[in-house]
Amino acid sequence: MIGCYDFCGHYEWTFDWLERAGGHALVREYWNEAINHDSQRHARDLIRREGFEGMAKYWGHTLAEESPELGFSITEAPDVFRIDMHDCPSKGFLLRNGLESYRDYCDHCIGWIGPMMQETGFVIDHEHNHRGQCWWELRVAGSKGGHSAVGDLAGEKDVRRRTDWSSLQTPIDGYVKATDPDAKVKPESNREGATTP
Amino acid sequence: MSANLSSDLPYTDTKPRGSADFYFAINATFRFLIAQLGREGWIRYLEELGLGYFAPVNRQWGAGGLTAVARYWRAFFAAEPGAVVDVVEFPDRVELRVTECPAIQHLRASGREIVREYCQHCYYLGAARAQTAGMTMRLAGGNGQCCHTYALSSAGLAPQDLNVIREAHA
Repeated sequence: MIGCYDFCGHYEWTFDWLERAGGHALVREYWNEAINHDSQRHARDLIRREGFEGMAKYWGHTLAEESPELGFSITEAPDVFRIDMHDCPSKGFLLRNGLESYRDYCDHCIGWIGPMMQETGFVIDHEHNHRGQCWWELRVAGSKGGHSAVGDLAGEKDVRRRTDWSSLQTPIDGYVKATDPDAKVKPESNREGATTP
Repeated sequence: MSANLSSDLPYTDTKPRGSADFYFAINATFRFLIAQLGREGWIRYLEELGLGYFAPVNRQWGAGGLTAVARYWRAFFAAEPGAVVDVVEFPDRVELRVTECPAIQHLRASGREIVREYCQHCYYLGAARAQTAGMTMRLAGGNGQCCHTYALSSAGLAPQDLNVIREAHA
C-alpha cells in the first residue's frame, strides 16, 4: 500500500518518474490536472468562493495539520495574503531522509497553486531557497507594484530576515506576479555578495 | 507510534502519523496515470515505485525475512490515520488482515470519487517489492477490507487471481 505518512517521499519520486515517462509537459499536466483540479479541488472551490478568506481557511487548516510545530506564519492584509514558511514539513521530510529524485521539488507548489490562482483571479510573488524556507504573497490579478520589503508585512516572522535565508550553494528561485511554474526568475539575492551562513 | 515502530520505517517524519488528505493526491495520481498512460502505464509506475522508492524496505525484507515484513507493516499501519489492521505471523507467511483501510475510509468519508482500480495498487506494488525480497505476495478482498499475504516461495501460494480483488467505490 502507498501510505500518507511518507507521502512527500513518493510524491517527489513520482515527479521524476513522470518526467522520464512524458517529459516536463507531463509533470506540469500532473500538477494541474491531478493536484489542482482533482486532489486539491476543495482549495480551488474555497478560494474561488471566498478569496483571501478562503486562502486563510485552506492554508490555516492544511499547514497546521502538516506542520503541527507551526513552522509557518500567515499574514493577512487588505490587498495581500502572505505565507512565511520557516520549516516546510514537506521539503523538511525530504531533506531529513536524503530523498532527491526530482531536480526541484519546491516547483510542485507553484505547479498546482499557480494554475489555481490563475483560475481564481490572483497572482503570486514567491521565493524559495530549497532548504525548507519560502515566502508567498498572493494578490488580485492586475495588482501593480512589487512585493513587500523585508519585514513590512510579516515583521519579525518574515522568512527573509533569517540569517540562513540565502546561500550561494542553493540559490533562491523566485516568481513575480506569476501563475506559470515555468516563469521562474533568479532574484537579486543570488548575485555576488549574497551571504553564505 | 512508538520510536521502536518508527525505526522499522525507512523514511521517518517528525509527526507520528500522516495527514489523511494526502490520500486525495494518491487517488488523483492513479486517476491521472490511468487516463494519461493507460492501465499498463499505471502498473509500470507501481512496479517501478516498488523497486525504486521502496528499495530500502525491500532490502530489509530480503535480509530479515518474514519477521522484517511483519515489523515493517506494523510500523506502516501505525502511522496511517484510521487504519485497523492485524499483522499475523505464520511460519511461511505474514498476513495483513485489514478491517479498515485508511485510504478507502477517508476517501469515502470525504465524498471523493475513488478510482475503481484503487485496491489493485496494493497487489502490483506489493508483488514487485516481495519479488525482490525473494517472496510472493497475494491480495484478496478490497474496497475497505482485505487480506495481504507475504509468503516464502516454499508456501506454494496459488497464482494471483485478479478477480478476487474487489473494485473500490464511494
